[in-house]
Amino acid sequence: MSAEQIDQLYNFCQERYLWQFFSRSWDRQENLDGIFAVAAALFAGEEVKRDTPMEKLFYADAKIMVADFQERFPWIAACKPEEIRSLLSGVKDRLTEIAITKSLNGELTHSLY
Amino acid sequence: MPMVLLNCDKDIPEREKHIYLKVDGEDTRDFLPISNAPTIPGTLSERGCAFCGAKLVIGGVLKDTIQMVHGPIGCAYDTWHTKRYPSDNGHFQMKYVWSTDMKESHIVFGGDKRLEKAIHEAFDEMPHIKRMIVYTTCPTALIGDDVKAVVKRVMEARPDTDIFTCECPGFAGVSQSKGHHVLNIGWVNEKVGTVEPEVTSPYTINFIGDYNIQGDTQLLQQYWDKLGIQVIAHFTGNANYDDLRAMHRAQLNVVNCARSAGYIANELKKRYGIPRLDIDSWGFNYMAEGIRKVCAFFGIEEKGEALIAEEYAKWKPQLDWYKERLKGTKMAIWTGGPRLWHWTKSVEDDLGVQVVAMSSKFGHQEDFEKVIARGQSGTYYVDDGNELEFFEIIDLVKPDVIFTGPRVGELVKKLHIPYVNGHAYHNGPYMGFEGFVNLARDMYNAVHNPLLKLAATDIRGETTTRFLEAAE
Repeated sequence: MSAEQIDQLYNFCQERYLWQFFSRSWDRQENLDGIFAVAAALFAGEEVKRDTPMEKLFYADAKIMVADFQERFPWIAACKPEEIRSLLSGVKDRLTEIAITKSLNGELTHSLY
Repeated sequence: MPMVLLNCDKDIPEREKHIYLKVDGEDTRDFLPISNAPTIPGTLSERGCAFCGAKLVIGGVLKDTIQMVHGPIGCAYDTWHTKRYPSDNGHFQMKYVWSTDMKESHIVFGGDKRLEKAIHEAFDEMPHIKRMIVYTTCPTALIGDDVKAVVKRVMEARPDTDIFTCECPGFAGVSQSKGHHVLNIGWVNEKVGTVEPEVTSPYTINFIGDYNIQGDTQLLQQYWDKLGIQVIAHFTGNANYDDLRAMHRAQLNVVNCARSAGYIANELKKRYGIPRLDIDSWGFNYMAEGIRKVCAFFGIEEKGEALIAEEYAKWKPQLDWYKERLKGTKMAIWTGGPRLWHWTKSVEDDLGVQVVAMSSKFGHQEDFEKVIARGQSGTYYVDDGNELEFFEIIDLVKPDVIFTGPRVGELVKKLHIPYVNGHAYHNGPYMGFEGFVNLARDMYNAVHNPLLKLAATDIRGETTTRFLEAAE
């Protein structure tokens, strides 16, 4: 796993997925946590719970992201499970930084919608 | 450096914070235009008002609802040929305009009685209509008419009616965006949860932020029907008033326009636990992704794949025909906000078009985060652009076609640059697979139409005095 691989996935996520840009920081964090946890499980071939509405939502978003990664970045098929985990963790960290912790969006922490 | 002070803005240097030129190696952690902020004195804004955002964008779309505008008659105008959100009941909402027609004496002595009389008169004239939205406007808000008290009296006198009051005068915010907000929050506070829908499918959604522009909603409805998904409420394309009172019963909120309707999706999640799924409904690749996500949520992926395959077989060859001929076209998108980020990658990926400049009238910083993430380097991103800035940016990026509204459209037509109506479309719908072929066709026809070049030729030669435009 290399920084360049994280870059590729991060850049793709940035231009593709709307869930990182929800209205408030807590919505964005919830999406990032939920989707990346399910994505890790899907890559590992684990069973994913789909009992609650939010679990179904994260499954839907994560399933598409995993399929996109596999289709557009064929090198991912050769990654070992621990490499995939670090890869996902690296991408999530970078998305968290741009969408939440270092975002210049002044509305992110407003208490009301 | 990437925040840009254009030459035309030298006397209003504050505009620099609203115009961004993307360069490689930078992102929204470094620069993000100021937006949803008051228009700077000295700029020629093309924004609308807060009332416009509530009535003309969202509420006015409802197909079974009287839209009572409590104000001078001028606030009511905008109908059949200026708004293009049809409906399947004969376009009731576009055929009529209702107003209390406030004059000076009513402003001086108060408009409550006039409003009450107008509401009764409208219901009497249209006895089959039982739903109404009453909007305040600048003057009636300023004089303090107690609209809610009037509405309460009327509803007591007419128990078979239901009326929603939208108190969002034009001055309430910096742009249309405030009107979206007020209507969203008012509706969820007062009306959602007051009607129980008839549920006919195990799969139910609200489709939020789609206003049936030239039939968008009706086109997408074909997909939901094929998938067996019941749309409890379209917010608000081709929708009935009572559909929107039942939004609390959907299992999923599918959001297209997050700017005008993200508020209600957020509140439905907070209050009723309904998840919010944002999708892009314009573009082949995006539409397919949206369908896949909705189907994955419900566990009906096979149905989704069958629908996508069917639509691709039908429309992809036509899209490709246009792509071949549009490749390399330089496009500017000067619309409200969300279409910048919905369109910039879809026209690039699906049509080979390069978006060179984008301007948003009422987008927030969230919208600029999205569009700067999706848009290209070398592209201008402008908040609340003014006319002189448009002229200067045209000179800088030389677009082949501009998707914008009629106001700026008239301006660019004078420069003989083709314009396509990016708000209400030329010949839509533009959403979905078929819709994106329509968009491609309109772009192709605009770019290759010889008329504008011919119109630029003055056969009278040098003997006549050329009319100089203000920007020259």
